[in-house]
Amino acid sequence: MSVIKLSDIVKRYQSGEETVEALKGVDFHAERGEMVLVTGPSGSGKSTMLNIIGLLDTPTEGTVCLDGLDVTNFDVDELTEQRRSSLGFVFQDFHLLPMLTAVENVELPSMWDRSVDRRDRAMELLKIVGLGNRLTHTPAQLSGGQQQRVAIARALINEPDILLADEPTGNLDQETGRTILEEMTRLKQQENIAIIAVTHDEQMEAYADRIVTLVDGVIQS
Amino acid sequence: MAWRNLGRNRMRTGLAALGIIIGVVAIVSLGMAGVALQQQATSDLGSLTNEVSVSAGADSDEDGVTEDQVEEIESIITDAQVIPQKTNSTEIETRSGNAYVSVTGVTNASALYDVSSGTAPDRLETGALISNSTAQELGLEVGDPVAYEGQLYRIRGLIEADDGFGGGGRGELVIPVSGLRDQQYYDSVTIITGSGDTAEATADRLEERFNVDGRDEEEELQINTFAGAQESINSFLNTLQLALLGIGSISLVVASVAILNVMLMSTIERRGEIGVLRAVGIRRGEVLRMILTEAMFLGVVGGIVGAILSLAVGFVMFNLITGDAIAVLEWESSQYLLYGFVFAVVTSVLSGIYPAWKASNDRPVEALRG
Repeated sequence: MSVIKLSDIVKRYQSGEETVEALKGVDFHAERGEMVLVTGPSGSGKSTMLNIIGLLDTPTEGTVCLDGLDVTNFDVDELTEQRRSSLGFVFQDFHLLPMLTAVENVELPSMWDRSVDRRDRAMELLKIVGLGNRLTHTPAQLSGGQQQRVAIARALINEPDILLADEPTGNLDQETGRTILEEMTRLKQQENIAIIAVTHDEQMEAYADRIVTLVDGVIQS
Repeated sequence: MAWRNLGRNRMRTGLAALGIIIGVVAIVSLGMAGVALQQQATSDLGSLTNEVSVSAGADSDEDGVTEDQVEEIESIITDAQVIPQKTNSTEIETRSGNAYVSVTGVTNASALYDVSSGTAPDRLETGALISNSTAQELGLEVGDPVAYEGQLYRIRGLIEADDGFGGGGRGELVIPVSGLRDQQYYDSVTIITGSGDTAEATADRLEERFNVDGRDEEEELQINTFAGAQESINSFLNTLQLALLGIGSISLVVASVAILNVMLMSTIERRGEIGVLRAVGIRRGEVLRMILTEAMFLGVVGGIVGAILSLAVGFVMFNLITGDAIAVLEWESSQYLLYGFVFAVVTSVLSGIYPAWKASNDRPVEALRG
């Protein structure tokens, strides 16, 4: 069973007077252990699709199934719960909280949850991404690549099924970007997760199991 | 977490806290000022308002308060001083001139009179007291003799002018009751109680015993208190205090608007960050709680610092108004510290609600877009 499955997704925005159709009937799926790259020119609807996969946005038409569960009509709080348990996010500009240390940033998604102590797993994950000696550094004391590794560790803290990455190498130089990609490739096997990444970065294509190209809201095959 | 968020913009946090501190100091010190004024007014008036004065009533058969009635009053009133007096008036002649004075015959002189020099004995058997002004007018000093009805009395003390109502201004000679033995009855009985309230209660008891006889209301004794005056002064002071507290609360309202502004600014500034929190699965309620906690911290810190400063202001104020700085610690005034603190926390949390609600309900997609 696909860990994520979009069926016939249409997304319309009201932009001033006119209605913009960002996605025009998109079908998409991803499996555990594969890295799917979503590419396409800007304005093609990549980010919209990623937001729908990430349960940050809801489609106008169509259905979204998460590991066989139809989440299309979930309300805000149910979607939050699904994001918390099944999804991990990596952003282009890292989005770490500046006043927290690396290990605290990794713990962030479960910080309010008193029932679990994720400190050990947070340290473990930081070791896995090669930051075992930077646990108490704040983001300002870390390089861009190191910050993105912290962000990846944060995305994995709740043992998600899917890792969503929006231009994960966009703010990194080629060399650093490559190490991040190698890290992600290793993790998708180790943690048996699906990685879905939106990117313009051509060097990423070499690491992808599958590439999906979006043009004007339609998937080109 | 909330604590560290506040630490990120120390200047802004500090200014917001300063607003609360000023609000708390304003409300607490104005409240305390009211208490200090009230205490001072009560102690100024106290010498009069705790007195009950008894004299012959309209329906009395006798021209005065009889020995029997005094004994009866003494048997009813056991918790206060009962001081019967006889009064008359006379002209004192001395080498330097004559003066008309009222003459009071009383045994327990110390309870009724404060003397500026010499002594007021609590059993006046011999000698006399004379009011300061009369003594000055006639050039009399402690130790000089004064004559009344052919009897000489040695002056033992000079009576200080009373600063309350009545009495004070006129010349007064105080001699032992025995000096007025020609008068069969007492002209008045003064009962000195602990406070205005007990004076009132005492008056009621006497009223019931002497003047309510079956269904008829006969005024055997006339019973007066000054407690009414105290009540109206108290109610005036209460109004004054409310007005002062009102002014104080306005400043706290201003402070709460400042907090609202600070929290709103900081949540707008952190919009993306809050979007990330929401994206990684932090619940709306948790974001709400985080921002409310920040607001509460502001209130708690502002409240504590404000309370400490207010206490200092209170010491100075009580020292100036009542001359007793330590009195500020009594519950009557120190309760305002608690009110000020609670008010600070409550207004902070209240003004944090809107920014917190706004931040937690922002859609993460739009928040992330910036």
